[in-house]
Amino acid sequence: MSSDHQNDSINVARTEQTETRVEKAEARAKQAEVRTEQAEARTEQAKTRTEQAEVRTEQAETRTEQAKTQTEQAETRMEKAEMRTEQAEANNQQGEIAAILLAAIVESSDDAIIGKDLGSIVTTWNKGAENIFGYSAGEMVGTSILRLIPTNRHDEENYILRAIKRGKNVEHFETQRQTKDGRLIEVSITASPIKDVTGKVIGVSKVARDITGKKHAEAAWWTSELRYRTLFEHAPDGILIADPESYYLDANASMCRMLGYTRDELIGLHASDIVSQKEIQHIGPALTAINAESEYHQEWQLRRKDGSVFEAEVIATAMPDGNLLAMIRDITERKRAEAAAALLVAIVESSDDAIIGKDLRGIVTSWNVGAEKEFGYPASEMIGQSITRLIPPELREGEEKILGRIERGESVRPYETRRMRKDGSIFAVSLTLSAIKDAAGQIVGASKVVRDITDHKKAEEKIRHLNTELEQRVIERTAELEAANKELEAFSYSVSHDLRAPLRAVDGFSQAVLEDYGPQLPEEGQRYLKTIRQGAQKMGVLIDDLLTFSRLSRAPLDKQEVNTDKLVRAVLDDLSSQQERRQVELRVGELPMCAGDPALLKQVWMNLLSNALKYTQKREAAVVEIGCEAKPEGKVYFVRDNGTGFDMRYAAKLFGVFQRLHRAEDYEGTGVGLAIVQRIVHRHGGKIWADAAIDRGATFYFTLEGETML
Amino acid sequence: MSETNSVEILLVEDNPQDVELAQRALRKANLTNRIQIVRDGAEALDFIFCEGTHAARRIEDTPKVILLDLKLPKVDGLEVLKRIKADPRTRAIPVVMLTSSKEQNDVVESYKLGVNSYIVKPVNFEGFVEAVQQLGMYWLLLNQPPKLQE
Repeated sequence: MSSDHQNDSINVARTEQTETRVEKAEARAKQAEVRTEQAEARTEQAKTRTEQAEVRTEQAETRTEQAKTQTEQAETRMEKAEMRTEQAEANNQQGEIAAILLAAIVESSDDAIIGKDLGSIVTTWNKGAENIFGYSAGEMVGTSILRLIPTNRHDEENYILRAIKRGKNVEHFETQRQTKDGRLIEVSITASPIKDVTGKVIGVSKVARDITGKKHAEAAWWTSELRYRTLFEHAPDGILIADPESYYLDANASMCRMLGYTRDELIGLHASDIVSQKEIQHIGPALTAINAESEYHQEWQLRRKDGSVFEAEVIATAMPDGNLLAMIRDITERKRAEAAAALLVAIVESSDDAIIGKDLRGIVTSWNVGAEKEFGYPASEMIGQSITRLIPPELREGEEKILGRIERGESVRPYETRRMRKDGSIFAVSLTLSAIKDAAGQIVGASKVVRDITDHKKAEEKIRHLNTELEQRVIERTAELEAANKELEAFSYSVSHDLRAPLRAVDGFSQAVLEDYGPQLPEEGQRYLKTIRQGAQKMGVLIDDLLTFSRLSRAPLDKQEVNTDKLVRAVLDDLSSQQERRQVELRVGELPMCAGDPALLKQVWMNLLSNALKYTQKREAAVVEIGCEAKPEGKVYFVRDNGTGFDMRYAAKLFGVFQRLHRAEDYEGTGVGLAIVQRIVHRHGGKIWADAAIDRGATFYFTLEGETML
Repeated sequence: MSETNSVEILLVEDNPQDVELAQRALRKANLTNRIQIVRDGAEALDFIFCEGTHAARRIEDTPKVILLDLKLPKVDGLEVLKRIKADPRTRAIPVVMLTSSKEQNDVVESYKLGVNSYIVKPVNFEGFVEAVQQLGMYWLLLNQPPKLQE
């Protein structure tokens, strides 16, 4: 319970506090409004004051000059007065002295000091009046003041007299008066009543000041105002005028363009309306700073009417009237350029390569981190120093020549040379030099990218070493191969002669027996001898095929341009003489030229085509198709038959030596033909493959790559 | 095998079986008593150039035809051919090469050296007659020695 009470009372207290705070806030708001109004009023006043102050300043300058002259005159006059005073003293008449003093003051004034009675008749006329109006005292005293007043302004005299009669002063009444020579001059008149001892107004003292000069100054001010106005309006930078609390009073066209507001929209807005959200908190401190500093210069992020933001440079100052003047420049482009430049700097700085700038005398102007790492000198030790300390002494002359070429605008290709580190060690580098040009295109120096290629050089050396080693190995291997080849050749030679010799004996003597003793042999014996001869002859063919096959690996290719069409037709002619009794439909498509060894290619076509004929021999209507297809991998020649085909499961065995997919009693052959074909195709850098199905024919494809080697 | 002054055929062959088969073929052509057989390249050169064991022979008594095996002991057939064709005294002698196979590269080489014909072994009657016909050596069969220029 008690805690509830407490809470209640606390709540009441809080409510009261809140109310009080609200009231205070309201009061403060009111005060603020009042202050705003006051500020606005002050602004207006200040504006006027500023204008007046400027005018006065000019007048004051003029007057200072005049005053100098007057002071001199006055001094002269004072001297005279002093002399007179001395005389007066001599006369021992104190009153007279005072009168003389007053007279002297009146006399010495540049203003016209005129006394007149209430009927406007001039009673006194000082030197100033003489100077301003041109009339002497003799001419004016006793005459009407109206002769000085232009006819259309005669009423003024009545107005002044009425005021004086009421005992009032007329102060700084600006009007025009006419001089003796008829000129109208601008004057400021102050009129005061002259009273007798009883206090009755008996006349008017009038001080007239020639303000023609001032009027001119005003005209000059207007000219000046116009000039500043023009400047304000046409300045490329935005200009804002704000009251001390940063409400805008005026803005120029550039400012309006920059922010996207019309002038009317902009006037009355507050700084918080044109800065980005995150900058609003900085307005208060900024106003303080502007008032405290003679020059305020900051970057701000401003917000356009459409909400987009941009970077701006703000120069602001408090004006004498308390208002603020701000000049605003859109620096988006500059920021972008700065960012780009910063990026370049970052790139240069983060590069592992040494990037060095130097002028045409070879003095280092920039030195990145890469350069520090590579050479061991910090930037502070290199900038301003000659680049030659990095160059080994024996290379310096050459470097000067290269710098000379850069200076003449010649381009220098990247080159490899040596450089010296701070510790004196020499290392291999790759150098890229480019001219640095100033804005006018004049070459002012060179940028140099230096890359340490020690590792690169080492790698190169290693590669060279490996290459040499490899070459040596190739030579050795080639020698081994050549030796092996020689051996193989000898072997083949041996096979062809020695292996064949016993065969010859078998065949030859079998024949001799048949010829010489055949009739004495039973028929069975004759058949045996014939079988012996067939076996021997078959073995002779096998030996021949093997020799052909082995020769293919060894004989050099005699590559030339081959007319495939002609070659194929020649082969077909050869074959047709052996196929006289058969009906074979030959379809020969277009066969483009190729590059290869004509004798070997003839062997290829011979083997493929004789195979096609062989395996179609059991067909009533044998068809052999020959052609060439253009494929991405090149020209693909093919031989297609509708013969007995083969089982694709055994395709891998197709091109092996002595591999046969058919029985000898079905189709004769040694099983070397396709092995020879494949060997030749491979030696030409080509490929061979087949596509077939049992009893549905076979197609052999081959390419002859490496034709460009021709 | 007897050395006569009127050798018509010089057979250079090391393989005795080949020799026998060749002799049989020649016998069938009725040329048995006019054959000189030598068993290697060195002996062939001695015979042709009348040196060594054949020093007593006259070089003018040239064989009418030489049947020369390619592969021979000591001096091979191509070397013998080269020597025969290089010497003006023997250059005109027709040389028939005996080869084991038509495919032999040696055949090409033989022709380069000026061989007149070749016979694939074994030398049989048909082969020999064919070679003789190729050479146009009717005179040999007619037993008429050629008129040598030297």
